Amino acid sequence: MAAASPIAGAVLLGLWLSLASVPSISNAADGEALASVKTRGVLRCGVSEGVAGFSSQDAAGQWSGIDVDFCRALAAAALGDSRKVAFVPLKASERFPALETRRIDVLSRNTTWTLLREGALKAQFAGVLFYDNQAFMVPAASASQLAGALKGATVCVQKDTSTLSHLIAYSDASGADIKPLVAGSADEARRAFFAGRCAAYTADASYLAALLLHAPGGSQAFAILPERISKEPLGPVVRGGDQAWLTLVRWVLLTLIAAEEMDVTRENLEIRLRNPSVSRALVPDDTVTRTIGVEPGWTVRALESVGNYGQMFDRNVGAHSPLGLARGTNDLWTRGGLMYAPPIR
Amino acid sequence: MSAMQVYIVVGVFAAVILAIAFNVIDMAVAALVGMCVLIVLNILDEQDLLAAVRIAAGPISLLFGGMVVARILSTTGVFDLIGDVYLRATGGSGRRFLLLLIVVVAPLCALLPNATTVILLAPIIIRVAVALEVDIVLPMILTAIVSNAAGLLTLVGDPATFLVGSSIGMTFGNYLKHVSLGGLLALAVVVPLLPFLMPDIWRVRRTLPPAEQRARIARPAYAGLSLAVLAAMMVLFVFGEALPTRLLPPMVALIASALALLVGYAAKVEPTDNVLRDVDWKTLLFLACIFCLVQAMAKTGLLQVMSVKLYELFGTRLTLVALAMIAGIGLLSSLLANVPVAAASIVMVKGYLVAAEFVPEVALSDQFTQWPAPTIAVFVGMMFGATLGGNATLVGAAANIVAAGICAREGKPITFVRFLRYGLPVTVAQLAASAVYVFALAHFMR
Repeated sequence: MAAASPIAGAVLLGLWLSLASVPSISNAADGEALASVKTRGVLRCGVSEGVAGFSSQDAAGQWSGIDVDFCRALAAAALGDSRKVAFVPLKASERFPALETRRIDVLSRNTTWTLLREGALKAQFAGVLFYDNQAFMVPAASASQLAGALKGATVCVQKDTSTLSHLIAYSDASGADIKPLVAGSADEARRAFFAGRCAAYTADASYLAALLLHAPGGSQAFAILPERISKEPLGPVVRGGDQAWLTLVRWVLLTLIAAEEMDVTRENLEIRLRNPSVSRALVPDDTVTRTIGVEPGWTVRALESVGNYGQMFDRNVGAHSPLGLARGTNDLWTRGGLMYAPPIR
Repeated sequence: MSAMQVYIVVGVFAAVILAIAFNVIDMAVAALVGMCVLIVLNILDEQDLLAAVRIAAGPISLLFGGMVVARILSTTGVFDLIGDVYLRATGGSGRRFLLLLIVVVAPLCALLPNATTVILLAPIIIRVAVALEVDIVLPMILTAIVSNAAGLLTLVGDPATFLVGSSIGMTFGNYLKHVSLGGLLALAVVVPLLPFLMPDIWRVRRTLPPAEQRARIARPAYAGLSLAVLAAMMVLFVFGEALPTRLLPPMVALIASALALLVGYAAKVEPTDNVLRDVDWKTLLFLACIFCLVQAMAKTGLLQVMSVKLYELFGTRLTLVALAMIAGIGLLSSLLANVPVAAASIVMVKGYLVAAEFVPEVALSDQFTQWPAPTIAVFVGMMFGATLGGNATLVGAAANIVAAGICAREGKPITFVRFLRYGLPVTVAQLAASAVYVFALAHFMR
């Protein structure tokens, strides 16, 4: 529908209750989420419906993954108990409505930080939990032929996602003349690919790596091509307008990174904190803590619950996980990666 | 908010409505006590009260301004004169009186604030009712009902309609094309109900007094100035926002009240103290308290949760969702102020449409206007539900409360049950007609 015309605008004023006075339902009030979480006694964390390494449920109903761990750290910081989290599985199209309608307090669901989401949807990203990229998965047998030459190939992709627009842009820029086979959901796209309807499947590299684990014929039957066609910085998201909550979520993430920078792990935390310089660097003073609105010791509680960022990464998606992803851009800045924490003081 | 707090809010709200419905205590006192209970229990905090004041300031300013201007005009003899013209036009027929009432109120309320228009027209309508020797309560209830329904005639007729329409980028022209006919239908269904709902008035035949006894304006200059204030207010209602200094309607109402008081003071016709004493403070207090209670209801998040339920219940069947909007939002709007209900519902419906993948996630943005045609019926359903639902009960719309306040000051209080007796059948008929309209619209927009 077209935007309101100037003529209509002149007449439209019948708006006798000023629109400015209409309550903003979507935007949160400052401190609202933390107050709700405290009153409720449970953090509601929006996660995926099941992406190995990020957020998935085992047969016993136990959630695990790097997104899940982040929520546990946040619950430990805000509520003093990492178990006080209710995980809300959401499909991609449900995640922002769920955040906006306050069904969840934080979205920790492999979600890319984009201008559209902060500018138009008024959501706010607390930082980057995982630097990802869009990639292609192909049958292993054709990997060598297809690498760098997807010319004319049919590629499975999910509809209404940035993945599709990236694919089209990549095709146009490279002159590859790729033919997208647009599926209604990630699951449909996956099924179409494994059924052989496409020469390749494009999605976030981490998602493709997770798919490989359960690929028909085993993970050896398929390969992820080295091409990376987009930047996908994934991170936790909160509602716009709630600066206090954003601050806590952001600094829980930064605490995990800062701890890794100082080689502070879940195991050596108690000992390392005896070192005044480490303690000073990881434990904010009470004045700062009070302004954030949580009980003192929140950074320590977060670290006790999940360890530092590196531990979280290794356990869920890295070397000590079935995915076995390399740290790459997710490594600390001191080791050539992009993970960097400003000083906690 | 904890589950217990949600129960308390719903309980307090229900208790207030029931206390009003069964006339246990005065409605303003009931609302004030309900609000205070929520404050004492720390459910409504300072931020909530500030938010409620921010929302309530607009409608209360509009009503205050309308009351002051109407009070000054009442001393000019203008109402007597117009009332006389109206009375002559009825020819002494109760049926004509009611039909003319619809004809006069509907177009005005299609463009002007409903409750303020009710305040301005009430003295005229009451004069004619008294002259025809009929109970003033029924014409005033009809005035409120017609004013609410007429809000559907244009995009600007009702704040709830405007809110929904503007949230999807609907233009004035698009509104006329897709919604106005339904609004007309909602008004038209009132007419065949009148002989059954108000038979005593419908059948009235009176012999009018001779024309020589017509009312006259005693102080033409004073009346002229007062009418100029009224005219300025009406013009600014429509064009005030287009001025370099953006004048929103509540601001216009306050400016008009100041000008009217100045005119009254300068002419030394009516002391300012008298005018201010006659403002219906009880109605304003009631509305302020109701807005605080609605703020608490909004804080529970119950409405927002409905977006998920919608998807679970109806999947991707948009026509059913549109019809559910008419019924659900209609029911909520009959008990709550329709503006907050509409505001929360927009978030709910947009969330549903994104979750159901009718539109991409960018549709959650205020600026998104590329709504697929089949989704429009859902928003139209919301408009009908929010606007017409308010007709059902005394507390459903500001115009109803204002009409009740005016009648009470004339010594004819309207009880909750009495309003319900007329409001509910009309609302059911209007919502049913809307459902047919929305069903047809959904079919043609597929």
